Amino acid sequence: MTDNHAAHLCDAFSEDLAELALGILTGRERAATLAHVDDCSRCAEELEQLSHAADSVVSVAPELEPTMGFEVRLFDRMGFAEASVAPSVIPPGRRVDPLRWVARSPRWALMVAAAAIALVIGLSVGWSTGSDRTGDTGAEVATANLVSNGSPVGSVHTYGGSTPWMIVTLADSWTDGKVTCEVVTADGVTHKVGTFTAKDGYGAWGAPLRVAPQDVRKAEVVSASGEVIATASLADS
Amino acid sequence: MIDSGSTDEALLAGMALGDQAAAVVFVRRYQRRVFGLAYSMTSDASVSEEVAQEALLRVWRHAPVFDHRRGSVTSWVLTITRNLTIDALRMRRAVPTDPDDFAASAMMSLEHNPEDAVQRGDVSAVVRAALADLPTDQRRAVVLAAVYGRTALEISEEEGIPLGTAKTRIRTGLMRLRAAVDHVRELEEER
Repeated sequence: MTDNHAAHLCDAFSEDLAELALGILTGRERAATLAHVDDCSRCAEELEQLSHAADSVVSVAPELEPTMGFEVRLFDRMGFAEASVAPSVIPPGRRVDPLRWVARSPRWALMVAAAAIALVIGLSVGWSTGSDRTGDTGAEVATANLVSNGSPVGSVHTYGGSTPWMIVTLADSWTDGKVTCEVVTADGVTHKVGTFTAKDGYGAWGAPLRVAPQDVRKAEVVSASGEVIATASLADS
Repeated sequence: MIDSGSTDEALLAGMALGDQAAAVVFVRRYQRRVFGLAYSMTSDASVSEEVAQEALLRVWRHAPVFDHRRGSVTSWVLTITRNLTIDALRMRRAVPTDPDDFAASAMMSLEHNPEDAVQRGDVSAVVRAALADLPTDQRRAVVLAAVYGRTALEISEEEGIPLGTAKTRIRTGLMRLRAAVDHVRELEEER
């Protein structure tokens, strides 16, 4: 093979080389480019340099303080004993980003924590029920704070799709034991969603919704004695 | 002895042996980068929390198989995060952050004098500056491919452009980023 012919061959692979470096080349093009790189030291070197550039793009994202309690939840999942982990100290003068700033608002922090729990529980509901919910979670229809005596104590999220469902979370609610979740639809009728257990004020559940999520106007968490513990008003949708 | 000054590689080696202290230092070093990447891609705090937790959990579990010959620790951790974020977006059928907004959030911390970053060997800052210098259409194509894993065909469909144009934008944009990264590496090798 002449040098001229080899250079032409390399030129023919130049676009595919960039896509290979980005990990987005598929099928026959990928196989042919890999075969060429195997035989061509010039393109192999080019691929390595392009790969460094491609890998560096994700590194441009700005750093952000995670949501409150992130470390505690992570170390718990890692199986670390609480006592073995010294609390982190934020160095003085570290830039406070907007997300961190809002996370310092207790109300917002509660919502973020609740939403995180909701996501985990939501996904596990989809998997544990064996439904095809992971393939059809439906869009979130509404979300609202659960309020008790004027203070937020959790959140309610409703989702549409072929199998509507809802997620309820409680945090710092002084609730313990079995509670019932009910929703009130636009026609004023109350529907029981399910009975769940809260422990030390915390709880998170996902359950199928047997009414159209767009019709839900109010959600209530009710104690075993029938007392309404918390209420969420869902917007007209 | 593991402490906050230990290298990433030393921390991973400790984690591979089950050293919790190494994991704590590692998590505190990386949690803002991992969460920041997931949030930049999703604009959703709850998805970002879940992704960031899973990414760091995987790093802890898979530390023994990390191979430094295949790239840096940072690159490994951020690639895990990126892939998990793409999976989370697909699973929730969520709308990802627009590539222009992703780039804009990165450019919020753009330095006044990129040459300072070159001299420091700060690849992220150099790439940030190079990304800012790209024409908008090339920047969108590179972000869609490198961050969101979109193929040239998907980019051509999403952007409403011919496939050949999408391929050219990806290649030209990446070549310009490569030139910036190479410049930093050459300077590092000279030192």
